[in-house]
Amino acid sequence: MIKKILLSIILFYFLVLIQTSFLVHFTIFDAVPNIVLILVLGWNLLEKRKNYLGVTNALIGGFFLDVFSSHFIGFYILILIGLAIFIKLIFKRYVRIPFIDKI
Amino acid sequence: MVVVVILIVFLLNVLQKEVRSFFYSFSAPIQKVLWKAGKSTSDFFQGIVRVKILKQELDELKLQNQELLSQIIVLKSFEKENKTLRQALRIELQKDFKLALSQIISKDISQDFILIDKGAKDDIVEGMSVITEQRVLIGRISEVYEDFSKVMLIFHKESSFDVKISAYGGPVEDGQEKDISGVVKGQGSSKVLLDFVPREENLSQGDIVVTSALGGIFPKGLLVGRIKEIKKNDVDPFQQAEIELFFDISQSEILFIILDF
Repeated sequence: MIKKILLSIILFYFLVLIQTSFLVHFTIFDAVPNIVLILVLGWNLLEKRKNYLGVTNALIGGFFLDVFSSHFIGFYILILIGLAIFIKLIFKRYVRIPFIDKI
Repeated sequence: MVVVVILIVFLLNVLQKEVRSFFYSFSAPIQKVLWKAGKSTSDFFQGIVRVKILKQELDELKLQNQELLSQIIVLKSFEKENKTLRQALRIELQKDFKLALSQIISKDISQDFILIDKGAKDDIVEGMSVITEQRVLIGRISEVYEDFSKVMLIFHKESSFDVKISAYGGPVEDGQEKDISGVVKGQGSSKVLLDFVPREENLSQGDIVVTSALGGIFPKGLLVGRIKEIKKNDVDPFQQAEIELFFDISQSEILFIILDF
């Protein structure tokens, strides 16, 4: 678990650097795709219901987004954790996708 | 667990300047490389995608260049005359700005802030103006760290400043200065709005917007943009206009901070 968290920290740190320094040159209708948000959402959507690494990733991704943004630290953490928990709850109660359980 | 996270977040906010400064200090070299790579990659792809538009733009710019050249010739004669008159009247020439050179490191996710590599160590303080080498206004320093500063771009929603409008084109002798004042307000998403221009004033598309010294926020005469679309109605005593900004952050790498004006 600690190894996975460490890997997530490195991954999200570099993703945020890419987001803020590289991807800003590729705007689509004056907006830059938020790859951290996409990855956190994707991870939580595809993760097994009993695993909670998606929520931890939301915390890590949110923290790095906060550090490299002008909002207070905790702004993106709250948004991403909120989204991650919401997805987990919805999937736990109302959605069954057979192939995800087999992953 | 939740309480621990909240406590950590609270502590990080108390020390947010130190936390951010720490991360910026070792990320800056990587970000500088990424910024350069992003710029050259986007230039390459834009070149391919926009060949047709670029050709059209080139033709327009050639025409504009010729117009400007003729204006420069007229202005040069004015400059010479001005110098002679100043010498005769013993008036000192206006001093130029004291500038500090800086480089962009990153852009905020919200798109309204950039991070530059000059900070408190280089005598940067909050409120200083940031421009490009063509004297195009970028924004002002909103937060200063030890080695870095955050710049609030002019299209941020909290940004507003006084401007003057000059006529674009036409012979210089006709009197370019229209002497119309207004306020530019940031709208976010790279958009600004010119507001508080009395309805009876004659604004035209293509007019150039420059800063005025009225609000004391920016020095006068910095280029802001060009009027794109004028919005007028019978009820409102003021007219508004959309402005096409001169600066393109993805094309700028080197910026200047005005230390003294």
